[in-house]
Amino acid sequence: MAAALAVFVVYTALAGNGVAQLTPSTLAGHSGDVTLVGAVVGKTHGDSYAKGGMRFRLKDVQGKSAARVPVVYHGSVPDLFKTGRHVVVEGTLRNGVFVAKPGSLVTKCPSKYAPAKSAKT
Amino acid sequence: MAPLGRAALLLAFGLVAYALIAGSYAAWKRRRRLALSAQNALLAAFPAALVAAIVLIVALARRNLTFVYVWQHTSKKLPLGYALSAFWGGQEGSLLLWLLVLTGYAGLAVLLNRRSRELMAWTVPVFALVAGFFALMLCFVSSPFNVQPAPPDGRGMVPSLQNPYMLAHPPLLYLGYVGLTVPFAFAMGALLSGRTDERWIVATRRWTLAAWTFLGVGQLIGAHWAYVEIGWGGYYAWDPVENAALMPWLAATAFLHSVMIQEKRGMLKVWNMVLVALAFNLSLFGTFLTRSGVINSIHSFSESSLGAWFLGFIVLMTVVSVTLIRWRLPLLRTKTKLESLVSREATFLYNNLLLVALCLTILWGVLYPILSEAVRGETRSVSKPYYDFFLHTFGLPLLLLMGIGPLVAWRRASLRSLGRTFLIPFTVAVATGVVLLVLGFGSSWPGLVTYTFSAFVAASIVLEFVRGRAATGSLRRLVARNRRRYGGYIVHASVVLLAIGIAGSSAYQTVRERVVRPGQSLEAAGYTLTYLGSSGIRGPNYTGFRAAIAVTGHGERFTLHPGMNDYNIEGPANEASIYHDPRSLGDVFTTAQIATGNQIDLKVEVKPLINLIWVAGFVFVAGALIAMWPDAVEQRRLAARYAAGAAPAGI
Repeated sequence: MAAALAVFVVYTALAGNGVAQLTPSTLAGHSGDVTLVGAVVGKTHGDSYAKGGMRFRLKDVQGKSAARVPVVYHGSVPDLFKTGRHVVVEGTLRNGVFVAKPGSLVTKCPSKYAPAKSAKT
Repeated sequence: MAPLGRAALLLAFGLVAYALIAGSYAAWKRRRRLALSAQNALLAAFPAALVAAIVLIVALARRNLTFVYVWQHTSKKLPLGYALSAFWGGQEGSLLLWLLVLTGYAGLAVLLNRRSRELMAWTVPVFALVAGFFALMLCFVSSPFNVQPAPPDGRGMVPSLQNPYMLAHPPLLYLGYVGLTVPFAFAMGALLSGRTDERWIVATRRWTLAAWTFLGVGQLIGAHWAYVEIGWGGYYAWDPVENAALMPWLAATAFLHSVMIQEKRGMLKVWNMVLVALAFNLSLFGTFLTRSGVINSIHSFSESSLGAWFLGFIVLMTVVSVTLIRWRLPLLRTKTKLESLVSREATFLYNNLLLVALCLTILWGVLYPILSEAVRGETRSVSKPYYDFFLHTFGLPLLLLMGIGPLVAWRRASLRSLGRTFLIPFTVAVATGVVLLVLGFGSSWPGLVTYTFSAFVAASIVLEFVRGRAATGSLRRLVARNRRRYGGYIVHASVVLLAIGIAGSSAYQTVRERVVRPGQSLEAAGYTLTYLGSSGIRGPNYTGFRAAIAVTGHGERFTLHPGMNDYNIEGPANEASIYHDPRSLGDVFTTAQIATGNQIDLKVEVKPLINLIWVAGFVFVAGALIAMWPDAVEQRRLAARYAAGAAPAGI
């Protein structure tokens, strides 16, 4: 057990520092690689395989923050990606635009355990 | 209908509450008739839960949209099979499934072990406590029987869940999660009653094996579903919700090994109690993770009111387990000591430490975002490199130990005997490693080490069968005489196949991606993929396209049709096209997305040996079934050992 703990401590000291997981409202001021979690808001523009990439904006999933972060993305678009969907994407904030790592965009599974909403009858 | 379901749930809650209160009082005051009454109440809780389940199933089958639950998870056009699978597709239904399975398991365990009066006296209230929690949630916090005026149609089911694998994957996981309650209830019952000998282990061995098998198969089916349905080319993403099923499985694996030491040598009693409590609490933790929304998962389970309840229950169960173990420490301490660090029990101990270390490092990774936020005020997460590092650090020695453990003698092994025993497996492993190195497999050291260790384990398993057959004269007789041991070897063989499949498909995979127009080609691992063109398709609730990709290479010629479906409500989804190569047991996995004009983005992943992972699932089930098959010889041996009292019965 002690050996396992030693390996763990060495690893976490050297490399296991983790990547910051931020929301659009907490992203400002972070210059390194981060993971951004948000909901797609507004229209999606461009093509993820074109030079300019696919562009969309993210807002906080919860809360009433007005923060909107523009994202530019290249590579495969995951299943069920569309406006309103919650996504996770890795990248770096550069000049106010979140430049995503190619292929890092993940759409969250629409929940099986979504909170109940009243039916419109 | 709904009032009947609610009444059945209230009845189930009343029965388990009675079983908890009356059973505890009876066990405390040694009231035999009251204890029997509590057992009967627990038995009666199953039919009550079954009635509630039938009400929900009928409502789902009829698409009775006045049930809020049915409206949330089905639609009128949803095929019947998937509508029924919505039973475990939502929070309330899955809680009901949990209660149904738990009361069923508890009832069967009571019926099979009624003669072990002292052990059952406290086991029944523990079962009732866990069942009571779920019944409480269903009656007062999250009911599947809430009603509303019928809307025109339901909200439907996520397309990726409309897959045959989803008919089996969640219920198997539940059978596993809930099954871990049985050894936990017996263990706590043993602590409360002071009967801390091996009886509770004997009574629950097959329950634990069954739960462990369900969890293992459930995860493999989930992995295969992710591979063929999600279209990202992988099968495991180290997502918290996936890890939630892996952690109790690892703890249960450690437990299944360490109980053998307790049975053979009377050692590790405290450790076994800790492991069984860990496995049970991790299964609760898995449920907590999926319902609390506290951890960010790609499965996006939303925050619900159940999170706090589950957290409270986990804390309660952990405190109860730790307190009971501490209280009974004098009874659990054994005089038997480890005689040598080179013995079978020592290798089992190393195996246990590595399994628990792997389990806890995964737990650390899962909890890291919460802990980092609490300590640093900023949520940080660890990802694949963290998990891969620990999988290599703990998983590879574990693989090697699988080959060493069964060949080392109990109590003490001499270096001379070890040399004799390991000569053949060692030679096979070194020869395999050298040949693979010459063939260029040194490009990935974890892959090379995995293959080499796998060769060692495979050789040691074959050697055991060969030696055993020589002694008994027949392979069938050999296995029949010691099902547990040889079933275990077959399970080990499945782990070898799994390890080779994972190493081959990850360490030696080839991935190529390129935007192509009709007539253009892409090369990957000796295959040439030529894009011929695309055609549109239309389904009942989607439109989409399929690309035609002509593939040649390795003496094969075939056509793949990757594409996308754009669902009217849910949005676009990749539809992968996969060729299974029967000779190499590898796959050519393709996805395609429309780029611009007539161009597509074509992605190909050539995954050597990936099909061994799925083959491993069948071998795993075969080995587990052999190991848990009733054994008359073993039953007679146990009956003789516990001649002073009634021998507890397994399933």
